[in-house]
Amino acid sequence: MPVIKDVVCTLCGCLCDDLEVTVENNKITKVGKACKLGRAKTMGPFLHERIEKPMIRKNGELEECSYDEAITKAAEILVAAKRPMSYGWCSTSCEAIEKAVLLAEETGSLIDSTANVCHGPSALAAQEKGAPTCSLGTPKNYADLIIFWGCNPVHAHPRHQTRYSTMAKGAFTPNGKKDKKMVVVDPRNTDTAKKADLLLQLKPGTDYVLIEALRAIVNGHEDVLPDEIAGLPKAKVLEFAEMCKAAKFGVLYFGMGITQTRGRYKSGDNVSSLISDLNQITKFVMIGMRGHYNVTGFGQVAAWETGFPMAIDFSRGYPYYNPGETGTNDVLMRREVDAFITGAADPGAHFPQESIKHLFKIPAIQVDGYANPTTEFSDVVIPAAIAGVECDGTAYRMDCQPIRLKKLVETTFKSDEEILTEIIAKVRELKGAEGAKGGA
Amino acid sequence: MAEMIIKNGVVYDPKNGIDGEKNEICIKDGKIVENVGAGAKIVDAEGCVVMAGGVDGHTHCAGKINTGRVMSPHDMRYAPIPGLSGEEPRTKLLRPQVGYNTPNTYAIGYRYSKLGYTSIAEAAITPMMARHMHEEFEEIPILDKLGLVLMGSNWQVMQYIQDKDPEKLKAYMAWVLLAARGYGVKIVNPGGGSSWTWGKNVSGLDDKVVDFDVTPADILIGLAEANEALNLPHSIHVHCNNLGMPGNISTTLDTMKLLEKVKTKRDRQVMHVTHVQFNAYTGTSWMDFASGAPDVADYINKHDHLTFDMGQLIFGPAMTMTADGPTEYRNARMFDAKWSNYDQELEDAGGVVPLNYTSQHFAHATMWSIGLELALLVKDPWKVMFTTDNPNGGAFVNYPEGQALLMSDKKRQEVIAGFPDMTMDRISLPNIDRELGWGEIATMTRAMSAKMLGLDDKGHLGVGADADVAIYDIQPDKVDPSVEHEKVKKALSFAKYTIKGGEIVVRDGEITATPKGKVYWVNAYENGIVQAEKDRLMTDLEERFAKYYSIQLSNYMVEDAYLPRPVEIRPEVA
Amino acid sequence: MQTVTLTPKRSPTISIEAELITPDAFAGKSAAEIGAIGAWEGNEEITLADIFDVAVDGSGDAAETKIVIDGDVPRVKRIGEAMTAGEIVVKGNVDMRCGARMSGGSITVEGDADSWVGREMTGGEILVKGNAAYYAGGGYRGETCGMRGGKLTIEGDVLDFLGEHMCGGEIVVKGNARLLPGVLNWSGTIVIEGDTTLPGGEMKSGTIFVKGKVLEMLPSYKDEGTEEVDGVTYRKYIGDLSRNGEGVLYVSV
Repeated sequence: MPVIKDVVCTLCGCLCDDLEVTVENNKITKVGKACKLGRAKTMGPFLHERIEKPMIRKNGELEECSYDEAITKAAEILVAAKRPMSYGWCSTSCEAIEKAVLLAEETGSLIDSTANVCHGPSALAAQEKGAPTCSLGTPKNYADLIIFWGCNPVHAHPRHQTRYSTMAKGAFTPNGKKDKKMVVVDPRNTDTAKKADLLLQLKPGTDYVLIEALRAIVNGHEDVLPDEIAGLPKAKVLEFAEMCKAAKFGVLYFGMGITQTRGRYKSGDNVSSLISDLNQITKFVMIGMRGHYNVTGFGQVAAWETGFPMAIDFSRGYPYYNPGETGTNDVLMRREVDAFITGAADPGAHFPQESIKHLFKIPAIQVDGYANPTTEFSDVVIPAAIAGVECDGTAYRMDCQPIRLKKLVETTFKSDEEILTEIIAKVRELKGAEGAKGGA
Repeated sequence: MAEMIIKNGVVYDPKNGIDGEKNEICIKDGKIVENVGAGAKIVDAEGCVVMAGGVDGHTHCAGKINTGRVMSPHDMRYAPIPGLSGEEPRTKLLRPQVGYNTPNTYAIGYRYSKLGYTSIAEAAITPMMARHMHEEFEEIPILDKLGLVLMGSNWQVMQYIQDKDPEKLKAYMAWVLLAARGYGVKIVNPGGGSSWTWGKNVSGLDDKVVDFDVTPADILIGLAEANEALNLPHSIHVHCNNLGMPGNISTTLDTMKLLEKVKTKRDRQVMHVTHVQFNAYTGTSWMDFASGAPDVADYINKHDHLTFDMGQLIFGPAMTMTADGPTEYRNARMFDAKWSNYDQELEDAGGVVPLNYTSQHFAHATMWSIGLELALLVKDPWKVMFTTDNPNGGAFVNYPEGQALLMSDKKRQEVIAGFPDMTMDRISLPNIDRELGWGEIATMTRAMSAKMLGLDDKGHLGVGADADVAIYDIQPDKVDPSVEHEKVKKALSFAKYTIKGGEIVVRDGEITATPKGKVYWVNAYENGIVQAEKDRLMTDLEERFAKYYSIQLSNYMVEDAYLPRPVEIRPEVA
Repeated sequence: MQTVTLTPKRSPTISIEAELITPDAFAGKSAAEIGAIGAWEGNEEITLADIFDVAVDGSGDAAETKIVIDGDVPRVKRIGEAMTAGEIVVKGNVDMRCGARMSGGSITVEGDADSWVGREMTGGEILVKGNAAYYAGGGYRGETCGMRGGKLTIEGDVLDFLGEHMCGGEIVVKGNARLLPGVLNWSGTIVIEGDTTLPGGEMKSGTIFVKGKVLEMLPSYKDEGTEEVDGVTYRKYIGDLSRNGEGVLYVSV
């Protein structure tokens, strides 16, 4: 049976590229080396139902229609809108994302990624302080101190610790875990924390405070710190700081505990500064544990095409950027958006109540392989091929490493890239414009 | 196919010995030809300057720049030069443009074209990140492009040099260019990028790299010899150790002297030294630092084995981005600036830090002078490429400013008059009255850069060259560049015509067409390395990928899909 | 003296960007000319006459021009942007970025102001009688310097990040400031008469007065004892020592 090697997983930001996929009669029957999540994603089309046909909602019910009808309806909705919003595009290829950006430009839309409810603050942190980081293979070879701050890789990035961090073996870490210490900073005693050499179970919402204390210690001002910091005894904070200073190479992996707790991006940007301060003493880096396998790709593509990694407003013809003003939930909760297109994401499952209420009221287009909560409020549903399984393209790993996704099976479903290209063509027809030739 | 004839131009084509002659340029099917038919489209240059399209042999335009973009949302609205910076909405023909130091890809393509440039070289990319560079290349309109691949702090390179295995090094160098679809060999702070993974650096040519038994000198010689053994079109391209440090002139001169012993069969330099301004400082600290340009220029005047580029400073905000990781950290701490860092496993380091240069600070004023001194004190323009190390010294849209300064002593003195007193003892520029002419400018911005890179069909207007032409709205017999700095600057900023591959892409400073350019890369592996050496190399690489890399070997190689319009160059095997 | 009265005709849900509602743009113009001035409603270009009834009384230059917006404009952004002189009075609520990059003149908002009021202002005065949301007196993304000069007064409460990246000028909040006021400030003075949480995060230098309660202090400030300023006794803290800062935080006792 043909086994395709070095297949790239399309679930999480680890973007493991060593999967071994068995294909029989154009069906994936086995996925080797992947974690549970990766296996489920790769075999997805063959494990459960998917959206089979394009649909348009008529009298409250979704009815099957042709691709042409769906594409036309989608284009009509977008062309008529004064404040259309394009959202998601994170579980798809960069080639599709480029088309999504072009479509947003041509329709004077806003466009944003799933980072709006996730690592968006990490981009803001980079804008405040920079991003002192490295490729995933660097800590694999060098790091003797691994810190997981506000993230739980055992569940969210299952192979991270074996491939890249705690258990990984490399040039200067030939004994894997034995050569390293692992620290978890989290209000919860998670499954990752249970294996930590040190757990700092801080009070929820005090990450910023703890970072401030750590910087004060690193910069020689521990004497001003109170006896209790972030719900932790000062001695424990000092112990952690000493571990950091004594490390030969420290890496801080961070997740929602840094990006989405009190203070939001201020915590992330303060971590950047902490890393910079620590580098006066020893080598230290930070890496964001990006969730979706190509949310990083969205940030990269959007940045080179528009100058900004997310939350872009094209209504004035040139991109404007101001998270808090131009982020997806910012405009949804103000009920400004009058048309919505989403692909490769599930806002229905992840957005705040206020946003969802509004999404039910406006025309919405969904491009996806699978039905999900987003389908409930969508008025046009266009089934798509699954990138990395049914079509190829580029994805960027959490550390910004680009890897090419493979096409494993043949399909009759159109890719996100093809669908967006057709919507763009229809939009141009409706607007009577030739559109930009450059780059299109 | 399309025929065109450019009439009434005053042509500067230094490669072919043409220095301001009223010649016609004939174009057919995207190439310069001897003659065209009567039906050829006529482009009337109206007595204006005609040159080959500009060739920027060192610019940070694809790859690391993206980190710079994400760090600089405020740069996107910054518009110090109308028409070449800030926000411009989309039009029927053009995508939206933003930025100044870190513009979006469309702005890069359009603005270089407005400047009359038609080819650019991304100055530094690690092999592992090359796919990203190619993705950005594809979104830069109009221009032809190539990428220089970092090798100077690479584990395999250092190991093979340490093992005294030049055949393996040669095979690896060729393989890396194939893997990255790269064009040439870039070396930044040799060895230092690897030491930086431990937070350390190398202090000079003879300082051992941490964990390896090699020195920067070993790395430079090893890579230079492999480069010549492979007969690559470009020489090694070197960013010296100790960049940005007072007293670094000794390292720079030592580096230049070191390469005297390497020979090449090609008609070109053995080493191109980049942005030398940042490496030409005398003194022991920022208090006594001064211009080392006279000494560096003296050496270059006496030796023919190198070329260099200026790295000219432009006052105002700049964005530094370089593989010189330790220097960037130092910058960030010194100026309390934002700091991005990237350690690329096994391959090199990197950093991005925003800086601001002001004429009111004696150090910046001195640095500004050094760049110009280097270009003016080196006698042979074929050794000098004009750059600002975009955007490290300043954004490329300021090239006309810098080039116009080279042509006008009067303007330079005006600027110097505004410098703080502390500058005056440190610089020689006040006493240099040389003014470059159009022919010399043409040499430094296209003719020598094409030659230095080994691009035979670029940078000149001889028969067989690519039909990449720039016509600047300035009549050399009517305008004196020595006096009319503003006119020169304006003419160089908004070309009367830019022609790319025989197609008019700029007319009176506006983009008229947006064809897609080609990507040049060098394949010295397929035919250039014998099978036995290939096998030996792959055995070693397979083990290294399994043990150290975080990506599979088969997924590392840049795929054909990323180069839709490649120009593959296979050097002749010895 | 010129007085221009804009009476809102409708209540849009989509934000209008009207950065030309400034004394500088209106000075010396007739009602018809002002009505013809462009604005944007989402991706559609409109004119001010589409959303306002315009009345003009008298004529004058920018410094002599007063604009009265006679009603609620919670969905009109960028009012007063980059104005250099003159006066604007909004008799109601106003949307984001009111008075951004203002360098002179005055703006009075009788209702609430949405986020980024006075963003990057360098001069002039803004008074908000109601509340002002996030980033009052803040900067633009990526800039290390936000508000540089002028005076911003908010009589109600503000939300998070008041005066982020402040580089000069003065901010007074009579109510509460929710979280991290004065974060990353370099200079300037902030006075909070109500309560606040974690004031002066990563302050490099500058001054913050808190007359109400600090509900939570940062751990990295150094207590220097008490000091009297203008007849009021404060506890004086130096910081933020997380970044070797030399700012001063006065907290009333």
